[in-house]
Amino acid sequence: MSYEMWTEKYRPKSLDEIMNQKEIVERLKSFVKAKNIPHCIFAGPPGTGKTTAALCLTHDLYGENYRGHLKELNASDERGINVVRETVKTFARTRSIGEIPFKIMILDEADNMTRDAQQALRRTMERFTETCRFILICNYSGKIIEPIQSRCAPFRFTYLSKEDQHTYLQKIIQKENVQVLDEGFNAIFEVSGGDLRKAVNALQAAASLGRPINTETMYSVVGRANPVDIQNMMLLAMKGNFVEARNKLREMIWKYGLAGNDIIRQVHIEIFRSQLPERWKIKLAEAIGEIDFRLIQGADDEVQLSALLARLTEAGYEIQKGG
Amino acid sequence: MYTAWTVKHKPQTLSEVVGNNEAIQKLTNWIESWNKGIPKKRATLLYGPPGIGKTVSIETLANDLKMELVEKNASDYRTADAVKRFAGLASQYSTLFGDKRVILLDELDGITGTSDRGGVRAVIETIKTARCPVVLIANNAYDRKFSNLRRYCLLIEFKKPTVLQVARHLKSICASEGIEADERALKLIAERSGRDVRSAVNDLQALAQSRKQLIYEDVAWLAERDRKDVIFKVLNTIFRARDCLEAKSAIDAADVDPDMLFQWIYENVPHQLTDARDLAMAMDALATADVYRGRIRATQNWRLLRYVFDFMTAGVAMSRQRTKPSGWVPFKFPERIQWLGRTKRDREMQSLIGMKVKKKMHVSSTRAVKEILPYLRVIFEANAEMAAGIAKWLDVDESMIKYLAGSEGRARAILGNISG
Repeated sequence: MSYEMWTEKYRPKSLDEIMNQKEIVERLKSFVKAKNIPHCIFAGPPGTGKTTAALCLTHDLYGENYRGHLKELNASDERGINVVRETVKTFARTRSIGEIPFKIMILDEADNMTRDAQQALRRTMERFTETCRFILICNYSGKIIEPIQSRCAPFRFTYLSKEDQHTYLQKIIQKENVQVLDEGFNAIFEVSGGDLRKAVNALQAAASLGRPINTETMYSVVGRANPVDIQNMMLLAMKGNFVEARNKLREMIWKYGLAGNDIIRQVHIEIFRSQLPERWKIKLAEAIGEIDFRLIQGADDEVQLSALLARLTEAGYEIQKGG
Repeated sequence: MYTAWTVKHKPQTLSEVVGNNEAIQKLTNWIESWNKGIPKKRATLLYGPPGIGKTVSIETLANDLKMELVEKNASDYRTADAVKRFAGLASQYSTLFGDKRVILLDELDGITGTSDRGGVRAVIETIKTARCPVVLIANNAYDRKFSNLRRYCLLIEFKKPTVLQVARHLKSICASEGIEADERALKLIAERSGRDVRSAVNDLQALAQSRKQLIYEDVAWLAERDRKDVIFKVLNTIFRARDCLEAKSAIDAADVDPDMLFQWIYENVPHQLTDARDLAMAMDALATADVYRGRIRATQNWRLLRYVFDFMTAGVAMSRQRTKPSGWVPFKFPERIQWLGRTKRDREMQSLIGMKVKKKMHVSSTRAVKEILPYLRVIFEANAEMAAGIAKWLDVDESMIKYLAGSEGRARAILGNISG
């Protein structure tokens, strides 16, 4: 048994160790060869190796002591553009010692920056281009302003295939001596949907239970990790108990810190898995899509999801009436 | 069915009345003195601020002594003529059935006339010839219109009970309702009510009804009492409005913080609009109002506030299409604020752990809370050995371990593994 989080322990150190995203890795390797990189945008869903690729790229460029040439900032934690500007200034002011004249700044979750902050960032990027290269990491490159996009080389990361995930997890379970049944692998993939970080965390949590991992173990872990059951909340709403359903929602959001977009994604999945009449699934999908869009635009999680629950209550009522 | 706790938990005997022992003793002595013949003062004037037990004292006393209580309030004796109509009742101490009689004139402040004219004069005349005890109740005995009246009355002052006394009363209500209440919470309710027992009980009901537990944070945010009254009035207008303009007028009528008002409406929609279709429509209106709130935040253009108001008032009001009218449904306090209070410690702990995870795992602390913390929780609950290793690696402290493990016992097992 190992005593750290496996996502870190088994995070690839060098570009050679990355097994998926082949085209991206090839392009990044050519940067290493040239000992020069442009500003980059790594865009793609969570758990697809964006941060890992950025770290590996830096490692391969500078060698074992790459940490001195690298600064990681997270836009969700450091919202103020001043923090970014000041950090960049102090960090980029001194030239890198060695044959590569620039340092690297990884700006994670960059799509969480306001437009104003991005404008300021753009100027900072230009001013310090000689001494500092930026790697912007985000889920949607669309949320990065055009002038920044046009100054960066874009890289699009996609979800891992089932095979790639399998190969990666196989390595871990051999080293950690965990027993995973085939059905367990399928369950992990279903739970994670190609998000490798989620898959590895779920695997480790399942392993902590100390028994061979099958479908049941996996779902029990997911159940424990999500103490409030989304399916149950939806059922309450559809049975007409809106107030109780709203309380469950509040528990998820306020007590367990679940994000609105995670909840709505789950609701979306459950709707199509449900026994509802087919045409209602489509009707509800329309409502879900609209509300998801509002969440992206920064509307209030609880209020919007409550409105969705009220729609479920209405649907439950209409269906019961034979509508 | 909804019953007001002020009625449900009204004292049944004099001994249950909160505080004012001295005043109550005086009142009892005076009533009992009637058994030895007509005393010098045929009336007593109980005075003091509202909601502290003046009326209930005489009611329970009459009940304890098995006396017949003839209760009249302001509307019964607005004018001299009205007083004369029941003055005859005062001419007899014993009723036809042998019970002894007390006449109670409540809310005397509302009487018309000056010190020797109109209603007051008629009351004085009634007292002069009364053959049974006449109890008067007023908030302010020293009003000029009572200057003559005072001479005919035994003055008994009722004072506000102490915070502790009010809190003790609230506690006994909680006990009989099966609510586990934090002492500090009850004291705060007592304090905020201005030691007005009636309003404290009302507040308690609004906060604690149909709950098992009441903690300090639940109360801490409670607005000053009169603010609440303003909000109730606004809500009433919105949920009863017949057209858009009437609903929208609610906003202008009161200076209420729009965000706060939004929370009140949001909380109460499902209780007021019980038809599923009405509910969906009203929640939709609120969600639309929320979209405009977001647009204001994004653009800082407050002109858009009018659309927020449109949807949260008129939009909600016009959703009432099919809900059947069903008497008065009490307004609920916005629970979101209580949720925020109750879960504050959880969220603080989560963000502290998030910061630790961030240092090690290349994610933002917010994402760490959402995506990694749930799995840490599973591991810390299930496997003390692995948890100990991770705890050391993350450099989390004892309180964080306790939070993740979810229980003292498991936390101890993990800590044992760390030192061992």
